[in-house]
Amino acid sequence: MTGAAPEPIAEVREAVKRFPAPEGGVVTALDNISLEVQQGQFATLLGPSGCGKTTLLRTISGFEDLDSGEVRIGGIPVTGVPPYRRPVNTVFQNYALFPHLPVSGNVGYGLEVAGVQRSERDRRVGEALERVGLSGFHRRKPAQLSGGQQQRVALARAIINQPKLLLLDEPLSALDRNLRQSMQLELKSLQHDLGICFLFVTHDQEEALTMSDQVIVLNQGKIEQVGPPEVLYHRPATRFVAEFIGDGALFHGKIQNTDADPVLVTEDGLRIAVGTGPGVGDSATLIIRPEHLSIAPEDPDDSMGVLDAVLEQMVFKGATRQYVCRLANGAAISATPPEASEEAFIRVRPGEPVRLAYRRSKPHLIVETN
Amino acid sequence: MRHPWLRRLLDFHGLLFLFFVYAPIIIVVVYSFNSHPVNMMVWKDFTFDWYLSIFGNPTKLNEQTLYVESTDQLLAAVKNSLLVASTTTAFSTIVGTATALAVYRHHFRLKPFYQGLLFMPMVMPDIVLGIALLVFFVNFGIKLGLFSIIIGHCTFLISYVFVVVSARLAGMDDTLEQASADLGANPWITFRRVTLPQILPGIVGGALLAFIISMDDLVITYFIAGVDSTTLPVFIYGMLRRGVKPEINAIATLMLVFSFVIASLGLYFRKRT
Ligand SMILES: Nc1ncnc2c1ncn2[C@@H]1O[C@H](COP(=O)(O)OP(=O)(O)OP(=O)(O)O)[C@@H](O)[C@H]1O
Ligand SMILES: [Mg+2]
Repeated sequence: MTGAAPEPIAEVREAVKRFPAPEGGVVTALDNISLEVQQGQFATLLGPSGCGKTTLLRTISGFEDLDSGEVRIGGIPVTGVPPYRRPVNTVFQNYALFPHLPVSGNVGYGLEVAGVQRSERDRRVGEALERVGLSGFHRRKPAQLSGGQQQRVALARAIINQPKLLLLDEPLSALDRNLRQSMQLELKSLQHDLGICFLFVTHDQEEALTMSDQVIVLNQGKIEQVGPPEVLYHRPATRFVAEFIGDGALFHGKIQNTDADPVLVTEDGLRIAVGTGPGVGDSATLIIRPEHLSIAPEDPDDSMGVLDAVLEQMVFKGATRQYVCRLANGAAISATPPEASEEAFIRVRPGEPVRLAYRRSKPHLIVETN
Repeated sequence: MRHPWLRRLLDFHGLLFLFFVYAPIIIVVVYSFNSHPVNMMVWKDFTFDWYLSIFGNPTKLNEQTLYVESTDQLLAAVKNSLLVASTTTAFSTIVGTATALAVYRHHFRLKPFYQGLLFMPMVMPDIVLGIALLVFFVNFGIKLGLFSIIIGHCTFLISYVFVVVSARLAGMDDTLEQASADLGANPWITFRRVTLPQILPGIVGGALLAFIISMDDLVITYFIAGVDSTTLPVFIYGMLRRGVKPEINAIATLMLVFSFVIASLGLYFRKRT
């Protein structure tokens, strides 16, 4: 596509938010955050507890004012605009359903407040409930619904006003695992059907990878990386992202040898062959994911790296098996070999030495150039 | 329980307790139907005459004993009491609720101290409050009468409403108001459609409590009531000083029924939400 980039639905520019900490001093919840979300996108804010995800959502929905920086929705700055005049809706973590209103009253609340006629309202409430699979629940009170059903009511209530942007603050965290997984897919297809931009908050990396077009990784009030799930998984920009997303072993050290045959030497003396690219003397972190590893062939060629380890145990994971090994320096490393090369693993008994191999070009190297 | 006799003892204790609390009340109710005109503790016959008598209806007993000097006075006292109770209830419910909302929403320095001040009138001895109000009214030249009673009752009933509504607000999920704002409701609509329905049981409960307390307050009212503004409790107290008469049993029974009705209303509203 040529020409100007499409107008972002919402934009946060250099946002800073500090809270006075009860024990004295200040907590910087948002430390100079800038981001945008586009029309039709499923964007996810991912980060550990306390990193500022809720605060960021609340500055967009208008419940929190920024100390500096600004929020724009549809290109218009919304500083000082109260929540009830912002074209965004929120699915709250605890659902926040009105306990005194029936399901239809809850879902139709936004329309009623906006002065939509009764007949029109009933029609759209019916539609919204059908969308979330709750037709026929009109007259129930929230207390008469299961957690998953309450979740759906909250969702229907938030989408009925057709907001430009839907904010969802860890909406699935209270659900059990099975329900959560099916809701993840449902949310994703709902977002696709509606074409509304979703900004979804979670601290569960798997959830973020499953659902998102774009993931924004936050840590301690700062953005670590923004990108599609594949990029975050295969090419993490920082050590934090590498550790937070996916399984894998991280090795930190300095690059030695020539450009053609670079080796990462860790502080405890482990030598690990890496792909070409980094300069000699660079500090770097290598991430070896379980799926990169298999048993080394008799005569590994130059395109492969080899690690000597001892097999500790095999963990059955259903579709795959995970082989947990220990390296010479005591670090644990896991392999989930593809089925074709699993034969070689099965012959190794726990406690026996094993040679692990990987394609040099596969593991991602984060280079911190000096 | 290991010892059956211990259980028996506990049962007995329970019965004793109930007897202790309710026996005097039951006696009053029973003897309000006793037709013995002189000694009301001696049972003679069943009669409704005392009830008729309070409302000025001529009965055969009236000829022997005319205890209520004037039914008009009694009815005037009832009217005063109802007037005072409903006015103070309306006023203290509005002010108490508004205060509770303000304290709930705003965070300011010395908030706990301020809340303490709002609790105070509830625990203040009635005598002290009565004297203080009397001195205040006299010094400021406010005529003692229904008006001074209403003001006096409001000073402590606001506290009761404040406490009851505050408790309800504290139990409210504050994301509900945020959800309402998020859905486009301005603060006034949010208050009417979300906050008010949430705290309504508290408001109704506070109002009923205020009404009952105002209806049967004697001590404070006694200090600040003028000559021609006698409330029912003050009137009954006056009757008692001239001797205990059978009509008092009937009046007490009626007041009891009235209080039960109000309390049941309160429980009903509690249950509904
Ligand atoms: N009202 C407040 N007063 C003081 N500190 C606050 C306030 N709100 C948030 N914070 C602090 O700001 C930081 C970010 O909080 P926030 O709620 O945004 O985290 P989060 O990423 O949503 O965490 P979680 O995943 O646990 O919900 C935390 O350190 C928190 O203690
Ligand atoms: Mg949060």
